[in-house]
Amino acid sequence: NSKREIKMRKLDSTKVRPLKSEQLLHIQDHDFALRPGFGGSPIPVGIDVQVESIDSISEVDMDFTMTLYLRHYWKDERLSFRSNKNKSMTFDGRLIKKIWVPDVFFVHSKRSFIHDTTVENIMLRVYPDGNVLFSLRITVSAMCFMDFSRFPLDTQNCSLELESYAYNEDDLMLYWKQGNKSLSTDEHISLSQFFIEEFSASSGLAYYSSTGWYNRLFINFALRRHIFFFLLQSYFPAMLMVMLSWVSFWIDRRAVPARVSLGITTVLTMSTIMTGVSASMPQVSYIKAVDVYLWTSFLFVFLSVIEYAAVNYLTTIEERKQLKKRGKASGTYSIDAVQAMAFDGCFHDTDVDMDLPAFSDRCEENESPAHAASISNVDTTRLKRKRSLKGNVGRIILQNNHVIDTYSRIIFPSVYILFNFFYWGLYI
Amino acid sequence: SHIYKKNRDVTKSWKGKTEQLLRVDDHDFTMRPAFGGPAIPVGVDVQVESLDSISEVDMDFTMTLYLRHYWKDERLSFPSTTNKSMTFDGRLVKKIWVPDVFFVHSKRSFIHDTTTDNIMLRVFPDGHVLYSMRITVTAMCNMDFSRFPLDSQTCSLELESYAYTDEDLMLYWKNGNESLKTDEKISLSQFLIQKFHTTSRLAFYSSTGWYNRLYINFTLRRHIFFFLLQTYFPATLMVMLSWVSFWIDHRAVPARVSLGITTVLTMSTIITGVNASMPRVSYIKAVDIYLWVSFVFVFLSVLEYAAVNYLTTVQERKERKLQERFPCACGIPHSKTMMLDGNYSESDANSLAGYTRNQMAPEEEKQEKMVVHLALSNESNSSRKRGSKGHVRLRIIQNSHAIDKYSRLIFPGTYIFFNLVYWSVFS
Repeated sequence: NSKREIKMRKLDSTKVRPLKSEQLLHIQDHDFALRPGFGGSPIPVGIDVQVESIDSISEVDMDFTMTLYLRHYWKDERLSFRSNKNKSMTFDGRLIKKIWVPDVFFVHSKRSFIHDTTVENIMLRVYPDGNVLFSLRITVSAMCFMDFSRFPLDTQNCSLELESYAYNEDDLMLYWKQGNKSLSTDEHISLSQFFIEEFSASSGLAYYSSTGWYNRLFINFALRRHIFFFLLQSYFPAMLMVMLSWVSFWIDRRAVPARVSLGITTVLTMSTIMTGVSASMPQVSYIKAVDVYLWTSFLFVFLSVIEYAAVNYLTTIEERKQLKKRGKASGTYSIDAVQAMAFDGCFHDTDVDMDLPAFSDRCEENESPAHAASISNVDTTRLKRKRSLKGNVGRIILQNNHVIDTYSRIIFPSVYILFNFFYWGLYI
Repeated sequence: SHIYKKNRDVTKSWKGKTEQLLRVDDHDFTMRPAFGGPAIPVGVDVQVESLDSISEVDMDFTMTLYLRHYWKDERLSFPSTTNKSMTFDGRLVKKIWVPDVFFVHSKRSFIHDTTTDNIMLRVFPDGHVLYSMRITVTAMCNMDFSRFPLDSQTCSLELESYAYTDEDLMLYWKNGNESLKTDEKISLSQFLIQKFHTTSRLAFYSSTGWYNRLYINFTLRRHIFFFLLQTYFPATLMVMLSWVSFWIDHRAVPARVSLGITTVLTMSTIITGVNASMPRVSYIKAVDIYLWVSFVFVFLSVLEYAAVNYLTTVQERKERKLQERFPCACGIPHSKTMMLDGNYSESDANSLAGYTRNQMAPEEEKQEKMVVHLALSNESNSSRKRGSKGHVRLRIIQNSHAIDKYSRLIFPGTYIFFNLVYWSVFS
């Protein structure tokens, strides 16, 4: 018995036996380099797509990455086999090298690959009558032209396009197998920054001057951006900075360092916010909605600094006029000291170069000589400074609110609120 | 004779011994075992080597694992007297049938191939096969950041056969829940791995049918220490810094304003820093709540000083108007105040405003006494000191605006209350 087995095995090794699947499917009998129905009518290939996930949308690269199951349905009579059960035969990826499969590619794709762990994610299912189901799992990065003029209140329309590379519409007819229902999505498909509005399938013809007309299938989807992140990241800080700049109108105009540093620091923070937004955006040649808002807020903050410069300048002129008037009355004071008082609001405890002669307001004009006599042995400079301070400050305090400040307290907030109404009404 | 024999060998091509032994050419291994018959059961065993990274921005995780398949293929049975298995490397895989398991929702994956493909095939005499490989896979994980960074994420890796439905291939965990083992040193820097466990389900595809799907689930709890140090602590310090402004003399306008505005700028920078490494989600995160409330506190301290300054100015103006209405009557108290003011090197017009007629009334007698003393003694120092003793208290009381006094208690109190509520809700 064993002798016969060995003999048989020896006989077997010299003969090359075709694989059972090949025998079953008569693969050697046909030339599968030629499409089914070669020379005759175009072969209809139905397409079905299940989108597994949209991995990422990149604004800077203007592309999106999608993982999908791509299924092809066609009929190849050369693959029909005899079967009494009418059940299909399922094969893995190794059979596709031996038979004909449609050569669908993704137009405008940048990178794509068929997943190959643990083996190539390919399925082939052949029915007894020759119908074939060919399924692949693919990740593709494709271009999507994005318009950012309404960013971040924008909606982007992207589409993935399928087409046969070699066969034009005379040879291969690509169509959606179930019309609009050919496109299905996993139930938990979601993006963190976008809301996926709708998936729809459409088809068209594409003309290439060198090669002819091709059937092209489109997977279209619309993405609406969630604005909440940008509200928190850009709009809200910008609004707060503008409100902070209004604080400067309520501060005493004599406090020069305070008002100037308040204005200039809000300008700096606005500038930082604007840089932060542009970092993650492509460098487009038109203005975006968020740019409109940030630049207008920047303008408001800038104007508050200019406003204080105007207030300060006019205050100086006013003081000079007043001092000229006073100078005619008493005749002995120095302009610098008074100006310093006006600007510092007399919050010094040491005076560097104050050398004030007696100076008074209405109240003390009568008594100044008497006082000078009675308290001559007291520290005269300090006393005089205080007296003159008191006198002059009184006059200045009366006009403490410059008229520009008073108007600004009302004009700036109301114009900003009006701008906000226009902006949000226009873009939402 | 030796050479003669070798010459004869060269013209004939011997088949590989494995192929002879396993009779690989006799069968068509593109078809699964028991083709046309019942579903072939394939047991799966996983040993997780490491969790390489968890990415919040991409919402995925990367895992390296040893994936083992166990099934029985009678076509591979061979006669053996010792019942020992034969071990092969990856080159035999192309010639026989292996299950086509893939990772659902994976973004990228590869079988390691250094120094050769990390694949092992072990065939037992009765046809049982053990097929093992080492894979790194990056898979999606939907993360919910509404409690970030005090959050827990649950991720899962899913295994499924690509081509064979549950009528052809039955995928199951070989040892139930013990099929999943982890290396003892598996750990992540930012997360605590709470547990690994396995489940299995059926998945339906409308075009292709029902498939067996196996799940590897694990839960990750984030370590908060890094965020405490990086975000919470600086924000709290900034808020406390802004309270320093209430204790500074309200006459120091540049100081208080720049303190307030610089703390606002620093808070804004901290907020931008946190959002740089986060995905742009459409809901508010726990860390956002904390940072924005702290920002509001800092902002309010700036507004508080604006109010103090404005009210001080208004009051000053009132004082001035009042003094100008009574020019002669206020001459005497004015002189007294002048004397007293003269003794104070730090007095200023604002505090002068405090000396209205109403306030001066009870003190006038004291002042007259003071004036007498002053006139008698010629020492400015003593008079200054005496004057200061009498009126320092008065001066300091009016140096703090009422709003400042209240703010010193209200701001810290409210902030501490907010912290208590926040940490009890989210911890």
